[in-house]
Amino acid sequence: MERFIADLVQGLDSGRLNRREFCETVALAAAVYGAGEAAQAQASRGFKVIGINHMSYTCPDYLKARDWYGSVLNMKSEQTRDDGNRANMMFGPEQGKGGTFLVARTPKSVASGASGIKPGVEAVIDHVCYTVPNWDEARVRATLKAKGLEVSGRDGSLHVFDPFNYDVQLASAAEENAFKR
Amino acid sequence: MEGFVAKHVDDYQHGKINRRRLIEILTFAATTAYAGKAAAAESSGLDVALVNHVSYTCPDYRRAADWYSKVFNLDQVGATNRDVALPFGKKGEKPLGIAANDVPLTHIICRTRPQETATRASTRPKPTAVIDHIALTVADFDRDRAKAELTALGVKNVRDGGPYSVYVDDPFGYEIQITGIGVTAVCGAGDRAGCGDKR
Repeated sequence: MERFIADLVQGLDSGRLNRREFCETVALAAAVYGAGEAAQAQASRGFKVIGINHMSYTCPDYLKARDWYGSVLNMKSEQTRDDGNRANMMFGPEQGKGGTFLVARTPKSVASGASGIKPGVEAVIDHVCYTVPNWDEARVRATLKAKGLEVSGRDGSLHVFDPFNYDVQLASAAEENAFKR
Repeated sequence: MEGFVAKHVDDYQHGKINRRRLIEILTFAATTAYAGKAAAAESSGLDVALVNHVSYTCPDYRRAADWYSKVFNLDQVGATNRDVALPFGKKGEKPLGIAANDVPLTHIICRTRPQETATRASTRPKPTAVIDHIALTVADFDRDRAKAELTALGVKNVRDGGPYSVYVDDPFGYEIQITGIGVTAVCGAGDRAGCGDKR
């Protein structure tokens, strides 16, 4: 940690980092370090999960997925990683500070008709639910309808299908919260 | 409504939209029952803040939940006879990077149900997309230490995923990547070796 901080200070002194970037980075480092310390204090084994880093979404045409997730869920494609076979679709907090991304990809085998399901795997993530903050039922429904999507579910917890019939759930904190089940 | 109009006038005055587009937007807004609908119809989509949960379906949800609890120190809450939730933190904690009060901790729901009904509408064609792995960011990640920890926990098939991550299989063969916070959507853009997901 000390060396890390020293590098940051050097960055600040040299002008590579501005004051704000410096402060944010130190605060983040402290938070992550703290989480690690807390994890060590709480348990002698295992990891402290901060969040989902990314999800690897394999489909027959990543461009369709890229455009759909960009259009419907406002995910932003990191253009430097769009190599003709994959796109990294970012959402949430800033990358490296709690942000997540969906890797939309089309391996050659899947483009040729394979399912993308690995042999021997007995589990499936059958849907992903995303939190929409400042939930406004009318606005959410109108937005989805304007995209031409068929919406099901209940107020505060809606489902749509993406172009590959993958189930996508959108929810408010009030309706979908692990501690309110 | 006033703010909605002001925004689009501002866009027009700054050359972001042309006169015709401004007229279209304001006409639509004025003829819609309330501004929320107009804004929704005009906007590009929904801003999702975070993954709320992933729905993980397997033959034995208790076995899966116990494995995720053991490896990632996750509590099990809200158990039923077919599923249980494993939040990434304690009650009252906020997700990293989130200031809003209406964005809860991400959680995994481990569940067991027939594959035919795993998706909401069995009458629909089966999905042709699959989430083939998820990557979890863990605090204070160090690859060698992580590998030793996983081995000590009895996790099999631990393999490198670049310098900043490792891959493992859970009890049902589902691939989980464990990463440090430095693995991002942009990492590797100039230096592929620095990215944890090289595939």
